[in-house]
Amino acid sequence: MHLTQQLELFPDHFVTQLLFKDVKNAAELKKKAMEGQISGALINASMVLDPFQLLVATNKAIHLQKTGKMKTRSLYSEIIFNLSPTNNISEAFKRFGISDHDNAVHIVLVHTKEEDHNIDSILSKVEGQQIPISQMSMLSDTAKIRKLYKVTSQEEKCGSLLDSVICRMAIKDVL
Amino acid sequence: MASDEIKATLCFLDKTKLIKQGAEARVYRGTFLGKPTIIKERFPKRYRHPTLDEKLTHRRTTQEVRSILRCRKAGISAPVVYFVDYTTHCIFLEDLVSAITVRDHIRSIQESKQTIECLHMLADKMGEVLAKMHDEDVIHGDLTTSNMLLREGDGAGDTDPVLIDFGLSYISGLPEDKGVDLYVLEKAFLSTHPNTEALFDRLLKSYMASSKKSPAVIKKLDEVRLRGRKRSMVG
Ligand SMILES: Nc1ncnc2c1ncn2[C@@H]1O[C@H](COP(=O)(O)OP(=O)(O)OP(=O)(O)O)[C@@H](O)[C@H]1O
Ligand SMILES: [Mg+2]
Repeated sequence: MHLTQQLELFPDHFVTQLLFKDVKNAAELKKKAMEGQISGALINASMVLDPFQLLVATNKAIHLQKTGKMKTRSLYSEIIFNLSPTNNISEAFKRFGISDHDNAVHIVLVHTKEEDHNIDSILSKVEGQQIPISQMSMLSDTAKIRKLYKVTSQEEKCGSLLDSVICRMAIKDVL
Repeated sequence: MASDEIKATLCFLDKTKLIKQGAEARVYRGTFLGKPTIIKERFPKRYRHPTLDEKLTHRRTTQEVRSILRCRKAGISAPVVYFVDYTTHCIFLEDLVSAITVRDHIRSIQESKQTIECLHMLADKMGEVLAKMHDEDVIHGDLTTSNMLLREGDGAGDTDPVLIDFGLSYISGLPEDKGVDLYVLEKAFLSTHPNTEALFDRLLKSYMASSKKSPAVIKKLDEVRLRGRKRSMVG
């Protein structure tokens, strides 16, 4: 169901992605994450296209954490911030973090190889149906994504929507 | 903390394959986040003052990724940027795995004694792409046939050439800068590929047909050529 991948740049770090639909307690989850009772990035599933997008955001967050250059207060908030095409932090949380009434939630966890018990703790807290990560594109709102990342049709002629999104995420700090 | 991070990136580069060692940069090929990736590392130049070197290297890195994004937004093919590490000056790019450089393609056509007509479509496409790039005010700064790639099996020119190596690029609307950009290409083109004057002419014709702003650029190109010739007569 979930997907766990090792990061080549940080081989001690593993990234696990979980996807839920029909979530009933988004507001509660959000509150718990803010209070630190859930350690994970809770993401609005309609705003993401592919597991690669989350890997790019997570790799960058760990890199910035290790170099002391994070723009937000925690690794998990940094992951959410990195998804956004702009450098506006509150805007990033509003668009990419979960909102109280969301019913599809994408969760990203960062852990070591041994220490993956957090997955069970997450599963016990989400009141919703876990679905395979491979189904994530069915939950994406591509029209909203195109609009938010300002992707034009001429750009999509030389690559996929995912390509456009990744490029903006990778380059936004020097725009 | 910072030194740990540098070690992490360098450790990673150890596991990748060096494919090109240049004067300014090393290019590696490896797997990053599960995808085939090109890593371009700009290393320190010992003969330059460290602070100046750092500044120049940083500028090249940012120029490279900015221009890639600007081109892609305009529908000009350039590799996707996956990640930029500004502490080690490494850019992680989409690897166009089976692509070949325009240079190798032209060479192989010439060596196989095929007619130069096989390359007409390619010259047309190159002219179009460069016109589009200049219309976006992107000056590449290092146009050569090695800095353009053809996707696999695209000798016929079905898809656009992919532009790479934007480290010397900058933004300018001046016809003079665009003219010099073309002059650099002309020099590189004709010296790398003997007897291709007609082919390069075709590229320029396609450039002229594709860009409304081309007359001023070509005028500057002619001026720069003349200056170049005078200089070589004196020298
Ligand atoms: N995205 C890519 N996909 C496939 N091959 C690539 C890619 N980027 C670069 N290459 C290969 O690596 C070679 C060198 O890359 P690039 O031109 O970016 O660096 P460079 O030539 O060392 O830089 P400079 O010209 O400033 O010395 C290219 O000619 C090409 O063969
Ligand atoms: Mg090059």
